[in-house]
Amino acid sequence: MLKNGVLKMKNEEQIKKDIETTFGELVKVHIKRRHRIKVDAPKNMTLPILAYLKQRGFHQFTLLTCVDWIKKGMFELVYNLYSLDYNVHVLVSTHINRENESMPTAINIYEMAFDYEREIHEMFGVEFEGHPRLGEFLLEDWKGMPPMRKDFDTRAYVEEKFNVKDLTKELFTRKEQPYRGPGSNG
Amino acid sequence: MAKIRDFDYEYFIGPQHPGATGNMSYHVWAEGDTIIKIEPNLGYLHRGFEKLTELRHWIKNFPLILRICVPEPDINEVLYAMAIEELNEIDVPERAQYIRIIVLELARLSAYLLYFGGVAGTIGLYTVPQWTIGDRDYILDLFEELTGGRVYHIYQTIGGVRRDIPEGFKERVLKTVDYLEKRLKDYDNLFFQHPIFEKRAKGIGIVDKDAALRFSVTGPNLRAAGVNYDVRKKEPYLIYDRFQFDVPDMYKDGDTYSRVMQRRYEFEESIKIIRQAAADMPEGPVNIKIRNPFEYRVKEGSVYVKLESSKGEYGFYVVSDGGVKPYRLHVRGPSFSHGLQLVRHIAKGTNIADISMILFSLDVCPPDAER
Repeated sequence: MLKNGVLKMKNEEQIKKDIETTFGELVKVHIKRRHRIKVDAPKNMTLPILAYLKQRGFHQFTLLTCVDWIKKGMFELVYNLYSLDYNVHVLVSTHINRENESMPTAINIYEMAFDYEREIHEMFGVEFEGHPRLGEFLLEDWKGMPPMRKDFDTRAYVEEKFNVKDLTKELFTRKEQPYRGPGSNG
Repeated sequence: MAKIRDFDYEYFIGPQHPGATGNMSYHVWAEGDTIIKIEPNLGYLHRGFEKLTELRHWIKNFPLILRICVPEPDINEVLYAMAIEELNEIDVPERAQYIRIIVLELARLSAYLLYFGGVAGTIGLYTVPQWTIGDRDYILDLFEELTGGRVYHIYQTIGGVRRDIPEGFKERVLKTVDYLEKRLKDYDNLFFQHPIFEKRAKGIGIVDKDAALRFSVTGPNLRAAGVNYDVRKKEPYLIYDRFQFDVPDMYKDGDTYSRVMQRRYEFEESIKIIRQAAADMPEGPVNIKIRNPFEYRVKEGSVYVKLESSKGEYGFYVVSDGGVKPYRLHVRGPSFSHGLQLVRHIAKGTNIADISMILFSLDVCPPDAER
């Protein structure tokens, strides 16, 4: 079993070594478990890493997601790439400032990033430089703060949008209608 | 991109069931009845699940998270539980894993039955959906007996399943899958060998191997393009490595016909897995005890878990800051890659009458793209 495990981790070790030798000390590579590698990269090295990995056979762009680390004042962008040959997911993570910092777009490397970047722009307010169409995606006529940010107050939004004065009172002390038998509700 | 001229037609397909199991609209520009440009328009089913999970305790998310996908809700529950178990390094009891396998495979069968009916419905073979929806109800009956709910089950929990299977349940599962296997012969006559279906579906909506890799296609759609890739084989989650089953590879054309037939043969493999799981299921506990669910904490860290759903690779990226609620949960639905960028590419040049069938054959499910 151990031997089997070591054999199967060969791909991961090889990719780790290759990324480290190509990109130097600024890039931190961890093998989290079998099939998963996490790469922590500075912003300016993220796209070169993506281009390098695509060339290595990581064709599948599984997802792009964003985590709002509000206490640190940072957004973490995670690019998840997958290779059918190596059977490994590489999660390339980079941090940018929450305010006034943009990220260059990845659509020239991975076409699939197109809609993910639109979504993250809408939900977190991250700007992607060079993206041709960052605009309305899921939400319609949304003008306030991007809703997936941690400081977006869902309760205040509901109170304002649906004109509820006191949420706890109006929702939980609604008057019960007397039951009038089956088929009589409403 | 082709230039849109003044005399080209402009259509809106949807948002009421454009050939996808949910509300989603496609804006289509056509020259005569040939599509020259298509643009998906999402947002009808955005319910903010990812934000809502951040506001609830870990355990309270189980009744919420499964509502992402109507045709196959169980994958959400299992994935969410798998993410917590991986972060907290919990060993799930054996019996619970076997029950999970049975639930997942029954859910796959029910999703495939819905799929067959849907594809047939889009080309006017309306008897097929009547039959498949009827047969799907036998699976829903099993779920009702097991969990109390027909569509949404809320059956999984951290470290196992909520309760043990009822007495005689295994026999009823086996009886139902026997019936479904027998029924496949009727479906062959009614649908899979139907000349109209063969004529309409062959050579339409081709996703070849290059396009499949370029647009991150996964699941049965990828296998129908000739890439033999299944998460259950390549990265066995739960205990899938203990079962004998094949991944069908007869179809390599990547057209609508291949995608449907791929699923028709995978249907048989799922039945094989259910039989083995029912036969090998050991006795024992089905969950672990959690002292106070509202004080339940998950270790700091991030994890990407994935499984093979009926639509393709379904994944959760979960981040925990060590608190009582998830810090971030990203749902990676297969429809995000199948329904947007891929459709923009393959729908060009097809006939407007085929677009619903192509969309349904890709199994585009807008809820898991929008969450």
